[in-house]
Parts: sequence; structure tokens; C-alpha cells
Amino acid sequence: MTPGRARVVGLQLASVLVVVAAWEGLARAGWVDALFVPAPSAVALSVPSVGREAVAALADTLAKTAVAYALSVVLGVAAGLVLGSARVFESTVRPFVIALYGMPKILVLPWIVLLLGYGTAPAILYGTLHGFFPVAVLVTGAVRDVDRHLLTVARSFGARPLQLYLKVILPAIVPSVIAAMRLGVVFCLLGVLVVEMFAGLRGMGSLMGAFANGFRAPELFAATALVSAASIAIVLGLDAVNDRLSRWR
Amino acid sequence: MRVALARAAIVAVVLLAWEIAARVGSPLLYVPPSAAVPALRDLLLLRSYPDLPENLLITTREIVVAYGLAVAAGLAVGFALGLYRTLGRVYGPMLAALYAVPAVVWYPSLMLFFGLDAASKIAFGFLLGFFPITLATLAGIRQVNPQLVTVARAFGARPATVFVKVLVPGMLFTLVGGLRTGLALSVVGVIVGEILGSKAGMGALINHAYGLLRTADYVALVVVTLVVVVATDAAASLLERRARRWTE
Repeated sequence: MTPGRARVVGLQLASVLVVVAAWEGLARAGWVDALFVPAPSAVALSVPSVGREAVAALADTLAKTAVAYALSVVLGVAAGLVLGSARVFESTVRPFVIALYGMPKILVLPWIVLLLGYGTAPAILYGTLHGFFPVAVLVTGAVRDVDRHLLTVARSFGARPLQLYLKVILPAIVPSVIAAMRLGVVFCLLGVLVVEMFAGLRGMGSLMGAFANGFRAPELFAATALVSAASIAIVLGLDAVNDRLSRWR
Repeated sequence: MRVALARAAIVAVVLLAWEIAARVGSPLLYVPPSAAVPALRDLLLLRSYPDLPENLLITTREIVVAYGLAVAAGLAVGFALGLYRTLGRVYGPMLAALYAVPAVVWYPSLMLFFGLDAASKIAFGFLLGFFPITLATLAGIRQVNPQLVTVARAFGARPATVFVKVLVPGMLFTLVGGLRTGLALSVVGVIVGEILGSKAGMGALINHAYGLLRTADYVALVVVTLVVVVATDAAASLLERRARRWTE
């Protein structure tokens, strides 16, 4: 009944080809305005002229994202360990954490830019803000749900608090931390790109904004495709790491 | 009771610390609560921004249209992919891969295509809301026990009956969660779009206040926008609870 893997991939490729061909056809026939929706061939032709600039911008963006990501994971895991261990405190502040997590962070972006100016710092702060909450919330839940029996047994065998964390809690939350890391990276990249679009001098977001404002649609589409491909590659890479780790466990 | 007291104390301490820090630092940059409250009053009395109601209406309308489109398209695509196995196997993973791209990369193209007016905000709110709704519909259908469908068919239920009596109740839990996430993301999409570039709506007012360094007005506008966000989420959570009670 269900098609095999090879047929699925074939159908996927075929669909992409059909869409690209139809789009090319529509653009050539003049059914869509090339000013707004350039033909795929025009996008491909713009790659050499825009390539170097776009790759440099992407590298800039990814470097900021990497810093924001490292900060989100470290701070998020730390906050998760504290919140997950201190139950009474956690249940008291939970509504605040959820409210901050759910609030559209774009609303504080103008204020961040006002305080930190244009450039790298606001992008890193805002990216961290985006990545921190999902990591903190997931890790808090994981620490809270560590099997109580394990903790009791470890304590009754005389484990000190530090040993409890290193030998029982940390190994138990590894899967959640990895899941949080996979989730967090997209949020960090999103945050960095938003800041670059809002108030960036460098980076992919600012480049794409400039292309859009200059009606340079082919370059814009090429840049969009490049960021999307990079982002999908990062997520698939983390998925692969995740798979390998869970098999190893 | 004690928890509520502790929470109130936390809020009080934060506000107090903010007030002191802002007065010591720069009241213009950090906007102490004592300056934000009068600004909020002026805003609500339509003294600082007389066009607040129109702009609030514009933003709300963008959210409603974006979410309505996202629900319609998300359900249609989700059901199509869920009910036709081959379609789901081919296009489900492609959608999931696109979901891994931070949606804001599409915004410049949408702005180029739809311009600075409401259409680009609606398109972006739609895009953000569409994915969680589609993926939740797909996940919901997959979690319905296929034996229930077989049994219903064996007893002579027509496709429409199977759909209403077996499929929808079985997947409602997941579906409603996706609809709620979709609403939150549609709201975020519209607001992000407005702040990244617009001529009208709450985002335009926020940018105006920020650009003129009217920081107290900026804080007041953010508070009003947050009220809209919280109100939509509260309404969604009410519906979600009702739907869950109905399935149990």
C-alpha cells in the first residue's frame, strides 16, 4: 500500500522539479511580474554576482548565532537545573517563566537596540533571549521528572549533593538537553536574523532587507535559499548527532 | 494563598528595583514604572496617540484574517496529507524540513511581493500559523486507531460518518493544541511584520514612539499590545479546555 523509500524520494524530487518548471514557465510567459517573482533561471544566474557577499553575510550571521546558541544552552541548562531542583521556588515563578516564554519578544527589540545600539551585541542578546526559554523550560521539566527512587537510593548510599547531580541527574536529563538543543538552534538563528533585519549593519538579515528594499528580487531569492539550506543542514546535522547518541545509549 | 503572596512580592520587588535602577540610571532609557503609568493613562485617554483605536483595529483585523487563512489552509493540507497516505509520505517530510527554517527568512520576500501594507503582515502571520496547524492535523490523524476506522466501516458507516464520529473525536486533542499554537504564532507573525516595517497598526505606532525616543509612550504601547496577545491566548485556552472536556 505505502510506497517504498526510493519511490518517495523520487516523487519528492519530481514535485520540486514540476514546481520549478511551472514557475519558470509562468515567469517566461509573463504571467507573474519578474520584478517581484523572478524566474528560477534568473535566481540561478544571480548566484555568481551575489555569492561571495551572501556567503560572507551568512558566516557573520552564523557566528553570532553560534555565540547566542552557546549562551542559551549554558544559561538554559543552568536555569533548568536550578528551577527543576527547587520545587517550591519553581512552582512559584512558573507563571512568570511561561509568560516570558510566550510573550512576543519582538516588542522589546526596539528597547534592546536603544540600549545596545546597532551591531553585534543586540543580535547576540536577542538570539539568546529566543533560545534560552525553550531550553530552560525543557530542562526544568526533565530535572523535575527524574525518577525519585534513583535520588532516594543514591542519597541512602551516602551520595553528596554534587555527586547526585553528576551521577544521577545529569545523565538522566541528557535526552532532554539534546532535544532542547535541537529546538533552540532554530530560535537563536531566528532571533539573530530578526535583529539584523530590524537594525543590522552586517549579516544575512540586513543583506536580505537591503535586497528587498532595492527590489533586487533574484538576489533576494538566492539569499533566502542559501539561509534556508544552511538552517535545514544544521537541524539535520543535530538530528543525526541525536540519532547516533540515542543508539549509543 | 502563600504562593499568590510570594508571586505578588516578586512582582513588587521587580517593579521597585526597576524604579530605583531607572531613576539612578537614565529615566529616559529605562522608563521607571512611575513614568510608564502616566504614559499608559495618556495613551488610553487618546491624548498621546489619538489614532490608537484605528491602529488597534488594523492589527486585530490582520491577526483575524491571517489566522482564518492559516486554519483553513492548515486543515485542508493536513487532512489531505493525513488521509492520502502517499501524499503524506511524500510531502510530510518536506513540510517538516521547511518548518526547520526560521520563518523570518521569508519575510523580506513577502514584503517585496505584498508591499508595506496589511497584506505582507497577513501573509507572514498566515505562514507562521499554517505550519503548526498542518503538522498537528497530520499528527492527529496518525494517532487515530486504524482499527476503529475499520470497525466503523465494517458496520456500514459512510466516509462522512467515519470522519465526524471516529476521526475528529480521536484527533481532537492534538488538533486543538495545534490550533492554539497556530494562533499564538499568527499573532507573533503579524506583530513581527509590523515592527519590521509598516505604515499602520500597533507595530507602526511602536516604531514611531521608539524613533522619536518617546520611551514612556513606547512602553505604554507595548503594554497595550501585550494585552491583545494575552487576551487572544486566554480565549484560545478557554476553547482548548472546553474541547478537551468534550473528548474525555
